[in-house]
Amino acid sequence: MVRWITLGTVAIVAIAIGLIAGPADVSVSAVWDALLGGEETTAAVIVRELRLPRALLAFLVGGSLAVTGAALQALVRNPLADPYLLGLSGGAGLGAVAAIVLEFGSTWSVPIAALAGALLAIVLVYRLAIVSGSVLDARILLLAGVVVGAFASSLMGAILALSPAQQVRNAFLWILGGFDGASWQALAIFAAYAIVPLAVIYRFNRPLDLLALGEEPAQFLGADIERLKRVLYVSASLLTAAAVSVSGVIGFVGLVVPHAIRLVWGHLHRSLLPAAFLLGGTLLVLADAVARTAFAPLTLPVGVVTALIGVPVFVVLVRKWAT
Amino acid sequence: MERMVRTRRSPPSSGEGPFTERVSGFCLLSRLIAVALCVAAVSACGTDMPEANTAQLVDDNGRPVDVTRPVSRIVSLAPSVTEILFTLGVGDRVVGRTRWCDAPPEVLEVTSVGDGLEPNVEVILAQHPDLVVFYSAVSNEPAIAQIESLGIRTVSVRTDRLTDLVRATKLLGQVTGTTDRADSLVAAFEQAIAELEDSRPTDSIPNALILTWDNPPIIIGRGSFLNEVVELAGARNVFDDVDRPSLRVSIEAIVERDPDLVLVTSDSSLTNRVDRAEWRAVPAIRERRFFLVMGNEYSRPSFRAPNAILRLRAALEEWR
Repeated sequence: MVRWITLGTVAIVAIAIGLIAGPADVSVSAVWDALLGGEETTAAVIVRELRLPRALLAFLVGGSLAVTGAALQALVRNPLADPYLLGLSGGAGLGAVAAIVLEFGSTWSVPIAALAGALLAIVLVYRLAIVSGSVLDARILLLAGVVVGAFASSLMGAILALSPAQQVRNAFLWILGGFDGASWQALAIFAAYAIVPLAVIYRFNRPLDLLALGEEPAQFLGADIERLKRVLYVSASLLTAAAVSVSGVIGFVGLVVPHAIRLVWGHLHRSLLPAAFLLGGTLLVLADAVARTAFAPLTLPVGVVTALIGVPVFVVLVRKWAT
Repeated sequence: MERMVRTRRSPPSSGEGPFTERVSGFCLLSRLIAVALCVAAVSACGTDMPEANTAQLVDDNGRPVDVTRPVSRIVSLAPSVTEILFTLGVGDRVVGRTRWCDAPPEVLEVTSVGDGLEPNVEVILAQHPDLVVFYSAVSNEPAIAQIESLGIRTVSVRTDRLTDLVRATKLLGQVTGTTDRADSLVAAFEQAIAELEDSRPTDSIPNALILTWDNPPIIIGRGSFLNEVVELAGARNVFDDVDRPSLRVSIEAIVERDPDLVLVTSDSSLTNRVDRAEWRAVPAIRERRFFLVMGNEYSRPSFRAPNAILRLRAALEEWR
């Protein structure tokens, strides 16, 4: 219980930091006034229309990536599994780059193209990994994800090589991730979409414990593992696809947050999944705050910051608990 | 092929060994790579050497420039350089350009050699140049070494700002033997800029955001010639405190600087793409105070800049 209170408090503090930190100079009292309503000042607009939806979206995306990573690590029984392992970053990147380079000029074209690319990658990987009828082989799933991702990345590289330097830079910066597209609208769409796969993954927390032991033990203990694997794979992929389409490819969170929680918290998915959600969200909100403020007014790609913050923390955790 | 072989009669002093007169394409390529490696090794050792003669003309990479031999076949690897060469009246000697070169219109008749950064050396050589003009960038060093090792002259120029244009024009004038033309162009240009400075509006200067991309937001800073264009036109760049050509910022930083208007120089669809909830926090974008400054005179420094500045100034005055 103490752990949950600690984790919840840290998450709330992180969101508060996300609201207070930024390139624009907004005092803590002005942030408070903006949250309680108040006048439509520049500071209030910055806090209400930019920082708050941005912090909440970063939290939700970070949490989703961490949950996805935890589920996939159990599903393929590989500690290196992360949400992008299964070809999604390649597919989403290809869609986004195509939309940027072909200059689809509409408001939502880049996120929609990224989502379409990720969904295409999911279908391809799934088709490749379904062998002999309806059996989803975890090893083939991994291989299929890697090759589909590599193929999409190569196509992306070819498109970029033929594009003007400016578009190449724009596309790369999009892929490296960031929450510049955050708004209440984007947050609402993402939240409405993410709730279903998150709930599905959580509902399977017990079978995930069994699956982490191995497919045979899981079967002996009564899990319908074929159905379980398919549902988990599709949920995790759909969740990641949505995350990529709103914020680009943000590495590290989905890989390391589940391991950090396992070290401190144990392996039961019933608590692992919600704890990973809170820690993943916290990490990404803090990383985004650093990305916006460290070199203000310049902004760093948030994916760069997640690793810069996360790696030292993780090293300390491993040293402390793994022995 | 004949010219390529001919250039091999004066081998570089890298101790590569005897040449055969006939070289297959593949063999040539592997030799080019070998020569490039040798040259890279030699030049790496020699970087600490002091300048032999301070009066020697050098390019923007600090390399000496030979102006004693005439040039008749030039490959230009930057749109700004191509435009300078045509303005100098030596456009008929330009035998290769990048695929981004588009001004003046007659450059489109010149053969394209592809990209200007990290260019394709074989395609350049196929044009049999006696001078290759590079944009000054570290990524071009291997190509420069390859081409110089074949005895072909190279010149590297940086053309980011209006002052760079003046320096590049003088240098290219000397290399192409058109110093008189270069001097008169530069004199007229500097006078036009001085007049624009003098006639610059001084009261109620609007604050301008120069936006080039929406997600992530990328804007123009003080390091670009567009900053000079905007200032001379009678506006102030809200990000003129950052000494970079362009930078990635957050929308919040834009809101805080509260621009009066938004200049969009590259892509008119940008005005559609910023029609999003998060961008409405910027009043100038919410109220769609956009200035579309289209045309390639806004994409690189050129002698058309005074005209471009006057057009923008007129548009700003009308708006005010």
